Amino acid sequence: MINFRLFFPLLLFSCLLLSSCSADKMSTYKKSKALLDTFVAITVVADSKETAEEAIDNAFDVIEKFGELINFYSDKSELSAVNRNAGIREVKVSPETLDIIEKAVYIAERSGGAFDPTIGPEIQLWDFFNKIRPSDADIRKNLSLVNYKNIIIDKGNSTVFLKKKDMLLDLGGIAKGYAADLAVQALKEKGISAGLVAVAGDIKAFGLKTDKKPWTVGIKNPRQKSSEDEIIAKIHLSGKAISTSGDYERYFMLNGQRFHHLLNPRTGYPAYACQSVSVIADQAVMTDAFSTALFILGPEKGLELAKEMGIDALIIDDKSSVHTTSGLEGILFLERNH
Amino acid sequence: MKETIKNTTLADRLLFLLLISLSVAGIFISRDALSQGSEVVIEVDGKPAYTLPLYEDRLVSVGGSYGDTLIEIKEKKVRVREAHCPNQICVKEGWISKGVIVCLPNKLIIIVGGSKKDEQLGIDAITG
Amino acid sequence: MQLQDKQRIAILSAYAIALHGFESLLPTPIPWLKLGLANIITLVALVLYGFRTALMVTLIRVVLASIFIGTFLGPAFILSTGGGLASVLAMGLTMKAFKSLFGTVGLSLIGALFHNLAQLTLAYYLFIQRIEAILIISPFILLIGSLTGIANGIISDILIKNLLKKDREKIQNVIHS
Repeated sequence: MINFRLFFPLLLFSCLLLSSCSADKMSTYKKSKALLDTFVAITVVADSKETAEEAIDNAFDVIEKFGELINFYSDKSELSAVNRNAGIREVKVSPETLDIIEKAVYIAERSGGAFDPTIGPEIQLWDFFNKIRPSDADIRKNLSLVNYKNIIIDKGNSTVFLKKKDMLLDLGGIAKGYAADLAVQALKEKGISAGLVAVAGDIKAFGLKTDKKPWTVGIKNPRQKSSEDEIIAKIHLSGKAISTSGDYERYFMLNGQRFHHLLNPRTGYPAYACQSVSVIADQAVMTDAFSTALFILGPEKGLELAKEMGIDALIIDDKSSVHTTSGLEGILFLERNH
Repeated sequence: MKETIKNTTLADRLLFLLLISLSVAGIFISRDALSQGSEVVIEVDGKPAYTLPLYEDRLVSVGGSYGDTLIEIKEKKVRVREAHCPNQICVKEGWISKGVIVCLPNKLIIIVGGSKKDEQLGIDAITG
Repeated sequence: MQLQDKQRIAILSAYAIALHGFESLLPTPIPWLKLGLANIITLVALVLYGFRTALMVTLIRVVLASIFIGTFLGPAFILSTGGGLASVLAMGLTMKAFKSLFGTVGLSLIGALFHNLAQLTLAYYLFIQRIEAILIISPFILLIGSLTGIANGIISDILIKNLLKKDREKIQNVIHS
């Protein structure tokens, strides 16, 4: 009984000690919005709902403004002006537009043209909604319009010129990642020290969650059979971005063959060496464009390029085998069965 | 302890049996509801407008910049049945049982299920 | 109130607070899974010293423990106050109305049941407002509550018997000396 009496006050004392340390008022706030023709979700760690909402709404505004500049479908966008004037004259653009086009050309160069922002004329031939496969002649004809080297950037005058008439610059393969970077920058400027920006599947995470752990991103299984195997792997991210390109995103099946939206800029036809490629790097603009590039290149050349660029990749090839770079050790967790 | 258990009254034991059987029955009854637990969240201009169960068939009309959008929930699937936006992408997406339908002109997002399960798996976002 | 009563309430409250605090430190594998250890003290107080003492001990416990844990006036405080009060009221009424129909274990079960019912009701009206969520979680909470209620009831019964035995010995000692 003596021990019993001592035990409880001691317990109480330890409770007091422990509870005084756990006075953490930071919480997680999440908000989503339809932007850039897709679904943008921002999660932040903040001390109040007001701080969080203000920062998130500001980031949404930044994305929206950026989207207006580079919207492929809007006649008012700077990108449309560049495309309308293809083969005619150079067009003066704002610094943001110039910057993203420069980055697109840089990645096109580094990937040897596997990623090409001038793929537009080929993409336009395909109709993935109505399952229309273009004729081989049309594909061949438009191939001459696809070449990133025909993008002429004049940095001093801040102008962009497409050399050939009917060329189309389509920043769809890089804009979502670029927007995620912009949003993260905007959040940081508002004093947010941890958060996660997901522009569709282009995700950038920074800081740590309220439980002091990195953010966890699930990578979709390209050949999902049931609701149980939706995720093929989980990855822990902090201060890094991830993007995934997969042949299951926009596609149709015709005569047993899968026709998807990841076209090889050299041939104009879908690339078949991979089912899905995820790229992990510091910037989402890099992961967005390089996930496409690596997909086109296939597992061997893709991994080579990833190493050369100092970025990480998870490649699922056409036989559902998984290839990864060594940098993912310790942060990538494959689900069972893989 | 044996003594204590022996000394319980008849009412004690009956009460215990009643509570246990009621709650076990409750678990089985609610499990049916749980398996259909997915929900449809409809957001307009970034704000949640409706949260509806996926297992109840219904039609919902949501106002937007281009008039009313008709959203249909049927057999645990959701689609945009009618919209007056110019590109009609949302209507073309057809039925979904999971994921997101976005109608940009109407600033409308329909999110189906998943979020609870993702939280269970400890996932903050999904790529791909 | 006599001095002895006050002392008793103080000591019992201290035990209850310690148990309450200790429990708040235990990891909860299932959210809302609570052992309700502090209810042992409430029950002992109720059976040995009557309803007033039990009520006082419960009130002191929920207020002080929440201040120590740091949840005072927060959601957890509202829930534990509601649960604690409902439990002590239900047990007190049962004892008064049915006298010896229920033993300590039965009382403990009733206390646990009303504790949980009150918390679920409060959670619904104040925090969750989603009846599906409450309906889904209720049977689990009631099942766990019944099991911990039994365990706490048995512990309480043993405690009560030992305390009564001690009292008897004391009285005998007084007579002998």
